[in-house]
Amino acid sequence: MAQEVLRWGADPSGGAPYVFTDPANPDRYIGYEKEMVDALAQAMGRRAEFVPSDWETLVSALQRHSFDVIVNGLEPTGDRAQQILFSKPYYIFQLQLTVRRDDNRINSLDDCKNRVVGTLGNTAASRLLQQQGIPYRSYADPVGAYRDLELKRLDAVIMDVPAEAFYARPNPKLKPAGPPFTRGLYVIGLRKGDEALKKEIDAAIDKIIADGTLENILKKWGLWNDAQVEFQAPIRTGTQTAKAEEYTSTNASFNWSEALWRLTRAAAVTVLIALGSMVIAVVLGLPLAVGQWKGPAWLRAFCTIYVEFFRGTPVLVQLLFLYFGLPVIGIAMPGWLTALVGLGLNYAAYESQVYRASLEAIPLGQWEAAYSLGMGPLLAFRRIILPQSFRIALPPMTNDFVSLFKDTSVAFAISVWELATAYRELANASGQFLLLGVAVSAFYLAMSLPMAHLARLLERRLRDRATERVVEEEEALATT
Amino acid sequence: MIRVTGLHKRFGDSEILKGIDFEVPPQTVLGVMGPSGSGKSTLLRCLNGLETINGGTIECDNVRLEGGLSHSDYRRRVKDLRLKVGTVFQHFYLFPHLSVLENIVEAPVHVLRTPKQTAETEAYELLESVGLRQAARRYPGSLSGGEQQRVAIARALAMHPALLLLDEPTSALDPRRINSLRALLRTFVDRGHTMIIISHSMGFLSGVADNILFMEGGYAVEFGPAEEVLETPKDARTKDFLSSADSAD
Repeated sequence: MAQEVLRWGADPSGGAPYVFTDPANPDRYIGYEKEMVDALAQAMGRRAEFVPSDWETLVSALQRHSFDVIVNGLEPTGDRAQQILFSKPYYIFQLQLTVRRDDNRINSLDDCKNRVVGTLGNTAASRLLQQQGIPYRSYADPVGAYRDLELKRLDAVIMDVPAEAFYARPNPKLKPAGPPFTRGLYVIGLRKGDEALKKEIDAAIDKIIADGTLENILKKWGLWNDAQVEFQAPIRTGTQTAKAEEYTSTNASFNWSEALWRLTRAAAVTVLIALGSMVIAVVLGLPLAVGQWKGPAWLRAFCTIYVEFFRGTPVLVQLLFLYFGLPVIGIAMPGWLTALVGLGLNYAAYESQVYRASLEAIPLGQWEAAYSLGMGPLLAFRRIILPQSFRIALPPMTNDFVSLFKDTSVAFAISVWELATAYRELANASGQFLLLGVAVSAFYLAMSLPMAHLARLLERRLRDRATERVVEEEEALATT
Repeated sequence: MIRVTGLHKRFGDSEILKGIDFEVPPQTVLGVMGPSGSGKSTLLRCLNGLETINGGTIECDNVRLEGGLSHSDYRRRVKDLRLKVGTVFQHFYLFPHLSVLENIVEAPVHVLRTPKQTAETEAYELLESVGLRQAARRYPGSLSGGEQQRVAIARALAMHPALLLLDEPTSALDPRRINSLRALLRTFVDRGHTMIIISHSMGFLSGVADNILFMEGGYAVEFGPAEEVLETPKDARTKDFLSSADSAD
């Protein structure tokens, strides 16, 4: 009979030292949890098969049967307990606060009250920060968080010790602030109802602890410490198994009023980014349009290259470039400003084409009439051509503004707390994908519908002005 | 008022105006006639500076435009010339986003820096004289062709031009309105205005023009008092055109 397979899911991106791509051999995954699962599978008489997945969606992927177990430094929390089953614990984790080497203001979590702290989304650390009311930004992987700490976009970073040991400690620009704190458990997650598999896994965990296999693996990765000794001792002497109650466990304190408040804040950020970038787009679009339309050859070429570059490459790539690429030459903008500038530069390319088309739509006769009345080109443009083309440009501009509103969601890629980020994180923390989805859509619509309505009103006013006057006069005549 | 001598205009290799000479004395109307492609429209566009001339001179008041001037010098003089010459285009080109009144005061206020109050008072007088005072607040889109034309005339006259150019003014009008336009233009001449009217309608020109210039193939074929040119043309091409126009009427 063929060997049974144990399929396990984890997020390997930025996943060292848990499970990550072997830098020496990119076809292979390595990590202490990889080695541990191999040992567990061997103890169970199975073959381990790794399914790379995404941290934020591990629980839903497990429920969709993408794999059988989650092994990814998972903490047993109350809200997860409602959705999945936990194995025995296999590791005691602690948290470590990291700051820049030259920063002496922050020595403990208490010093972070009015600072911005980075951490991974939906982890023990993020829940701790949330409970203590410390503003934090969540990242998809430790690399981004530590880099933003270096670039002063953050004041501190909190990570589980394994990740901190791997990513922060070797970095000479960073230093640990205070000793590690809290003790929490890593467990393996299973689907509800998989009691038989849980029994098998629990036995295997006891076995690899008792025979020293896990100790060897942890020592090899530099993760063996006093906490593990205390935790493993009773199991190894066979006196008792680990008691979950002795350890801290964080719970997401999810309630609807807080979620709505956070969504409202996210909506405000979305509005700020959308309005700010539209101002840039509207203002910058005009010189681009005129330059491309009437400028000398070099300016036409420049404007064309600008437009084709920003239209021809994805806005997501442009944002990532601005956020991660520009700091290389010393320009490190905060995330919201990066999104605002990036989207502004991008939409300026689109607006310039709207303007150009609507400027070109004005008949040549309008120019000639203005010239023959003695107007110069600038006066004719400002007083005669521009107001007329504005009416033509208004509907497509409205359209662009609405789509800009939605495009602010790409800012989630650079950890800006706007609506899409809020949805992803709140929904992952609570499992309320459907209800929160409806709420977030309502927020988007509450912003875009009034705007579209206003634009329609303005359009109608401009268009109907001539006919309205006639109606007014006819009414005036009829009453006399 | 305006004197044109040896006017040449080329587009690439093809010469459209091959040496035109004429003069328009103050308070008179010159009618320019000729078949399509004879160069009448190009002549008009040279007179208001929309085309650059290649040779000859245009003199209007103290402004003198000639071929072969440096680019910046030419542009400066064209700007001066445009303040002397007003144009009523065949399709009027009123500014659709501005009301009738705003159309008229736009250039006086922003080019001549006339105070808005003064400009509006004058605009109302001009509208009165073209019979459209009540339409001051309307927009061009709600006006008939004839009304638009009269607004265009008022708009051009608001700049106090020494010379008024009209391009095919009868093309959008029915016969009744053609008569009233003729009367209107004559009253402006009596008040001291000077005009050049481009038209292929012999009937219209015979009642309004003092002199006639007949063009064909880029040449001024015949130039003289209106009755002479229309009744007893000397050139065979003029005769030909007039007789075919007669039979068409």
